[in-house]
Amino acid sequence: MKDYDGRVRLVFKDFPLPSHALARPAHEAARCAASLGRFWPYHDRLFAGQPDFGRDDLVRYAVETGLPRAAFERCIDERRFASAVEADVAKARELGVRSTPTFFINGRPLVGAHPVETFRKVIDDALKAAR
Amino acid sequence: MNGVRVRVARRSGVYTIWTACLLALAAVLAGDVAAQTAPELGADPAMVKGPATVPVTIVEFSDYQ
Repeated sequence: MKDYDGRVRLVFKDFPLPSHALARPAHEAARCAASLGRFWPYHDRLFAGQPDFGRDDLVRYAVETGLPRAAFERCIDERRFASAVEADVAKARELGVRSTPTFFINGRPLVGAHPVETFRKVIDDALKAAR
Repeated sequence: MNGVRVRVARRSGVYTIWTACLLALAAVLAGDVAAQTAPELGADPAMVKGPATVPVTIVEFSDYQ
């Protein structure tokens, strides 16, 4: 992303797989972090903490990333963003997403974890096409 | 004969207008569908890196687990 600063935007969307029982609470927790202004640090902490996504883990990550504990706990306990996560899942299904990660680069799908060179090629092509 | 020609020409004009209207409607509906299926639609701004004015948008559907 740094190499493409000012030319590329990254949008994160939730797609917790049904086979991952702890994924959905983690996605809802990340939405809580977003509402409290710390989405990206919390997002990175979740990936670093895989696969430990029990409630205590989620709260610990929140505290580690500077989130206010009480507000965060209230948010996850109320499942305040359950419908927002579900809306992303519905959107993903509508677009034919079946596995993660799935990327859309200016609408062009790229499925799976690819080497950085592949992303560079697709992004460079998209930048050329946008000129 | 001239009257018939005029009537046919008028009818043809009406058909052209109707066709244009239908094509315009189809274009609007197609645009709506495209907008509804745009991957980034409804994104939480807090979950976005970079301004909306850039030429390339990457939408990532991911699973933390």
